[in-house]
Amino acid sequence: MEISVIASSSIDGGIGSWDIKTGTEQLRFKQCASPAHGLAAVGEKFLAASQLRNASGSSGSIFFWSWNKPQVEVRSFPVESVKALAANSEGTYIVGGGASGDIFLWEVASGKLLKKWHGHYRSVTCLVFSGDDSLLVSGSEDGSVRVWSLLRLFDDLQRQQQGSTLYEHDFNEHTTSVTDIVIDYGGCNAFIVSASGDGTCKVWSLSKGKLLRNIIFPAAINALALDPGGSIFYAASVDSKIYVGAMNSSSDYATQSLGSVSEQGKAVTCLAYCADGNLLISGSEDGVICVWDPKSRRLVRTFSHGKGPVNNIQVVRRTVVGNSNKAQSSWKKNGSSLPPPPLEKYERSGDNTVDGIVIVDPPPLSDVPVYSSYHSADLINEQVRELQQQGSAATEIEMERLKLEYKKSLQMNDQWQKNYENLLQVVMEEELNGSSS
Amino acid sequence: MASFERFDDMCDNRLKPKILRNLLSDYVPNEKQPLVDFQSLSKVVSTISTHKLLSEDQKLQAKSKSAVDEWVERFLALVSSDMPDKSWVGIVLMGVTCQECSSDRFFSSYSVWFNSLLSHIKNPESSRIIRVASCTSISDLLTRLSRFANTKKEAVSHAAKVILPIIKLMEEDSSEALWEGIVNLLSTIVILFPAAFHSSYDTVEEAIASKIFSAKTSSSLLKKLAHFLALLPKANKGDTASWSLMMQKLLISINVHLNNFFQGLEEETTGKKAMQRLAPPGRDAPLPLGGQNGILDDAAWNSEQLIVSRVSALMYCCSVMLTSSYKCKLNIPVASLVSLVERVLAVNGSLPKAMSPFMTGIQQELVCAELPTLHSSALELLRTTIKSIRSQLLPYAASVVRLVSSYFKKCLLPELRIKLYTITKTLLKSMGLGMAMQLANEVVSNASVDLDPKTVQGSDVVSSTNPRAVLKAGSKKRKQSTNTGVEAENAAFEVGVPHNHSLKIAALEALETLLTTGGALRSDSWRERVDKLLMMTAGNACEGRWANAETYHHLPNKSTADLVEFQVAALRAFLASLVSPSRARPAYLAEGFELFQTGKTEGEMKVAGFCAHALMSLEVVIHPRALPLDGLPSLGDQFPESNSLASLKHNTPNLNNGDNLFKEWTANVDVPSNNEILRNVDSISPLQEAKRLKRGNDLATVDSLSGQDHTDIVGSENVQQADVRKKVPESPKESLGHVSERDDMVPEEVYRQVVSETREGEGLAVKDSIMEEAVVVKKRESLDESDDDSIPSLKADDYLSSDSDIES
Repeated sequence: MEISVIASSSIDGGIGSWDIKTGTEQLRFKQCASPAHGLAAVGEKFLAASQLRNASGSSGSIFFWSWNKPQVEVRSFPVESVKALAANSEGTYIVGGGASGDIFLWEVASGKLLKKWHGHYRSVTCLVFSGDDSLLVSGSEDGSVRVWSLLRLFDDLQRQQQGSTLYEHDFNEHTTSVTDIVIDYGGCNAFIVSASGDGTCKVWSLSKGKLLRNIIFPAAINALALDPGGSIFYAASVDSKIYVGAMNSSSDYATQSLGSVSEQGKAVTCLAYCADGNLLISGSEDGVICVWDPKSRRLVRTFSHGKGPVNNIQVVRRTVVGNSNKAQSSWKKNGSSLPPPPLEKYERSGDNTVDGIVIVDPPPLSDVPVYSSYHSADLINEQVRELQQQGSAATEIEMERLKLEYKKSLQMNDQWQKNYENLLQVVMEEELNGSSS
Repeated sequence: MASFERFDDMCDNRLKPKILRNLLSDYVPNEKQPLVDFQSLSKVVSTISTHKLLSEDQKLQAKSKSAVDEWVERFLALVSSDMPDKSWVGIVLMGVTCQECSSDRFFSSYSVWFNSLLSHIKNPESSRIIRVASCTSISDLLTRLSRFANTKKEAVSHAAKVILPIIKLMEEDSSEALWEGIVNLLSTIVILFPAAFHSSYDTVEEAIASKIFSAKTSSSLLKKLAHFLALLPKANKGDTASWSLMMQKLLISINVHLNNFFQGLEEETTGKKAMQRLAPPGRDAPLPLGGQNGILDDAAWNSEQLIVSRVSALMYCCSVMLTSSYKCKLNIPVASLVSLVERVLAVNGSLPKAMSPFMTGIQQELVCAELPTLHSSALELLRTTIKSIRSQLLPYAASVVRLVSSYFKKCLLPELRIKLYTITKTLLKSMGLGMAMQLANEVVSNASVDLDPKTVQGSDVVSSTNPRAVLKAGSKKRKQSTNTGVEAENAAFEVGVPHNHSLKIAALEALETLLTTGGALRSDSWRERVDKLLMMTAGNACEGRWANAETYHHLPNKSTADLVEFQVAALRAFLASLVSPSRARPAYLAEGFELFQTGKTEGEMKVAGFCAHALMSLEVVIHPRALPLDGLPSLGDQFPESNSLASLKHNTPNLNNGDNLFKEWTANVDVPSNNEILRNVDSISPLQEAKRLKRGNDLATVDSLSGQDHTDIVGSENVQQADVRKKVPESPKESLGHVSERDDMVPEEVYRQVVSETREGEGLAVKDSIMEEAVVVKKRESLDESDDDSIPSLKADDYLSSDSDIES
C-alpha cells in the first residue's frame, strides 16, 4: 500500500505527487491546469483532471494520466468546460460538473456518457459521492447544494409516472457560491457539510433533508476536511487560517484555528485528511502544501508544488504491485493492455444507449497463487464407508433386485427346460410316427 | 533390541519409522495376502497424516529413509499387482504419498509414479475402480507438483498427457463414478495448469457439453460438469474474448432450450428477440455449445424434466463464470442475462388467452411441475449477476428492481421467496442507500406478510398461547398474543412441530439489511411498522423457549439448529431496528433490553453471545458518547477564552480595523454559555503552552495565540495587520533566521508580531521578568491543574514566547 498526496494548480504546474510517509517527491504528471475540485483519482486505476485551458473554444477538456507515466495518456473533450470532477471509489464512474450547471456521468470502462442532466442554474463547483457511492452531492456557484440518487436518475419510468423532481434534496441557504462539500461516515443518517464564499459552513442532515447548523467563520471558506471523529471539521479560509468547526458546539461562531499557513495572508485553498496517521494536508495560494498533525497542531512537513496556487489536493492509496519504477504501464498491470477510452461527448440516444455489456475489471491482486486440494484420502474413506454400510439401503435394494432377478431366471430356466422337453417329445413322436408310417 | 528402545513422548521423531513399519506389517496388504482388508486402510491413512510418518526426518536420516523406502516399495508393488483390489490400494496409497512425502522424494520420483498411473488409465483392461483411483491420484500428484515453482513447463506437459486419454475414457465408459473422477482431475488441471489444454480445448469442451446434454447424467454430476465448463475459458488463453464466447454460447443454448420449453406459454417474439440480442443478424453466430455435434438429440425435446435440468445446469455454469475470478477484464452481457431471467420469471404456467388451444392439459401439467426449479435457477443467476457487477449495475438497476418487485407479488413458493430475499439483500449491499430507497416498500410489505405470526402454524402459535409469553411485553403486544392464541385454539394444528424457519430467517435478514443500509432515509412510511414487527417477531421467537433450545440438543436434528438460527436472526433484526437511526427515540428500547438481558443469561450459547453483543451496542444508545475528538482533547481546553476576554477589553478600539463581518461576528459572542469551560481553561492552558514550548513547538503556541478565540483572533488579527505594515523592513530578516534554525516555516511571522505587540504593551520590564516567569511556569507545571491562579494567562504565554524568542 502506498499513500501519496497529489496536488494540482490552476496554472500549469502539472500534478505533483509525494509519498506522505517519506516525503519524497514522486512522479510529476505534466500538462495540468485544473480548476478547484477538478482533480480526481479514478479508483486505483488512473488520474483524471479537468482542464482550465480550452483547446477549442467552447468545449472543455479532461485528461487522464496513468500512474507511472508523466505524459497525458488520454484526452477527452466534453461539450462544455468541466469544473468539478469526481469518481466513485471503485473507479467505475466519473462525474463532471459543467459551467452551465449540467452534470455528466460517464462509465469509465467504455467512456460512454451514460447520463447528462441539468443540475444547477449556474456552474457546478464541487461534486462528492456519498459513502456507498449511491448518492451524489453537488454544489454550485448559485449557492445551492443538491443530493441526487444515481439509481433514480436512471429510472426514467418511475420518474415519468411520479413526476417528481430529479433531486432528493435541494439545500438553498448559502448566499454565494458553494466552495466545498464533505459528507461524513453516517450512512443513511450522514451529515453533509457545505462551505461557501459567504463565510459560513452549513451542516445538513441527509435523512431529514434540512439544515442542522449554521456555523459562521471570520472569512470566506475555500475548502473542508472532516475529522473522522465526526463532530468537527477543518475549514480552510481565505485569510490563510485553517479553522476548526464544531458540529455540536453551542456557539454559532467558529473561531478556533489549527494554524495559519502563510504570513502574507495567502488563502488556504484546499484540504485533505489522511486517515493513515491522522494527518491534515492543506494547500495554499503560494504553492505550498503543508502536512499537519491536528492532534498536536504541528506542521509535520511541507511540500512545494511550485509558484502557482495549489487548488486541489487528494490523498491516494494505491496497492503497488512490484517495482513502480518499471516502465510498465499501469494499464498492463491491471490485466488489460489498453488505456481507458476517452469520455464521449454526447449521450447515445434510443436503444443504443445500453448495449447490454458491462466491463468488469479483474480484482486487484488477482495474481495470488491458486490452490487445489488433495482427494486420495477422501476416496479411501468413501470406499471404506461404502463397504461398512453393507446393510445400507442401496445394497439392500440391490440385493433384493438380484434375488428377484435370480428367481426370475430360475423360473425362466424351468420354462425353457419344459419347452425343450415338450419340443423334444413332439419331435420324438413325429420321428416315431414318421418312421412308423 | 528395538523393543528396549525408549521414546521421549508421543512426538518423538524416532517413533515415526517404527509406527510406519508397524502399519506396513499389520495393516497394509501385501502381494501374498489373499484378501484386502479395506477397513484398516482408513486407519493407515489417518495415522500417517497425524504423525506425518512420510516426512523424512533429517536427523534420523537412515532410519526414517529406509522405512519410507519400504513403504514406497510396497505400494509400487501393489500398484503393479494383477489383482484389481490390490492395485487399487497401491494407487490410492500413492496418492496419499504424493500429499505427505518429503519434497525431495516427491521430486525425484513423481515422473515414474505419474507414468505408472497413466498406464493404468490407458490400459483398456483396467477395471473401473482402478481408473477412478488413478484419476484421483494423478490429481493429487499434480496438486503437489504445482507447488514446485521450477517445474512449471514439465508439469504442464505432464498434465497435457492425461487430458486426451481421460476424455476418451469418458466417451467410452458411462459410469458416473468414473466421470466424476475425470471431472475432478480436469478441474484440478484447469485450475493449476490451464496451459495444458492448449491443443485439446475444443475437444474437451465438446465432450463435456455432450455429457451435459446426455439424458443419463445425474443432477449432481451435471453440476460438476457445469462447474468445470465454467472454468474452461481460463484454459483458452484466459482472455476476455474466450470468456465472452463461452458466455454467448451458454446463453444461446439456454434460450434455444427455452424456445422449445415455453412454446405456447409465451409470445413467440420473446424468444426471437432474445436470440437476436445474443447473435445479432449482421455478425457470425458462434458454433453451438459443444461444437456441431452438440446439437440436441430429439429425445431431449420430449422430456420437460430433462430440458429443465439442462437449462439449470447451463445457468449454473453462467453463475460460476460470473463469480469465479478471472485475471482479465470481463465483458458481462448484463442486458442479456437480465432479460433471460425476466423471460423465465414471466412464465408462470398460465396460458395466454391466444395460446390456450395449442396446449394440452398434460403438457401444461408437465411444464408446471418443472417451473419452480427453473425459476430457482434463474433467480440464482440474477443474484450472481448482481454480485459480479456490483455498483456497475447502475444503468440496469431500475429494471432489476421492477423485476424483483413484480415477481415478489406473484411468487408464493417459500423456496423461491427465500431466493428473492437473498437477491434483495445482494442488491441492498451492492447498491447501498439509493437502492434502499427504491426497494424499501417492497421488502417491508413482503416481509410483514412472511413474518406475520397469524399466517404460520406450528410452534410459534403454541408459544404465544404459553402464559409466560404474555408477561413481558407491552399492552399492545399482549393483545396481539392473546388474539393469536384464541385463533390457534380453534385451528387444528400440530403441537410443537418445529417447522422450517428458513423463510422467516430470509425475511428477517432482508429487513435487517434494509435497516442497516437505509433505515433513516425516506423511511417515515414504514419505519414504525417495521420496528413493531421486529419487536414482536423477536419476542415470539424467544419467549418461553430460552431453556428449551438446549433440551432439543440430544437429537441430531436440523430443527434445533434452525430454531437457534431463527432466534439469532430475529434478535439481529430487532437490534438493527433499535440502533438504526430514526427520528424519534427507539420505541421498543425497554422491550429490547429486557429481551437481550434474559437471552444473555438463559439463551443457547450462540443466542447468548449475540445478546451480549446487542447489549453492548445498545449501551451507546442510552449513554451517547461525545467522542473525544481525535487528538483534540476537547474544544475548550486549548483555547483559553479568558485571554480573549482580556484582549477584548484591551483591543476593542482596534476592532475598527476589522471588516464588517468581524464586527458582526464579535458582537454576537455568546459569552455566558462558555463560562464553565473558561474556568478550567484558565488553569490548564498555560501549562500546556509551557510544555509545548519546552519541546520547541513554537508553532502550536503561536497558533493558539493567534487564533485562540474569536475575540482574540480579532485582536491579533488587527495587530498583525498593523504590525505588518510597520515592521516590514526588519521582520523578514529575523524570521528568515528562525526558519533556518528551526523547522517551522510560516507562523514565525505571526508569532513575532504577537510578541512585538506584547513588548509594546508591557514595556522593557518584560525582559527582566522573563526568568522569573519561566520559573513560575515550571512550578505551575509541577503543581496540579487545580491551581486557580487567575493571573491572565496571556501574560505568561507572552513572556514565555519572548523567552524562547530571545533564547533562539
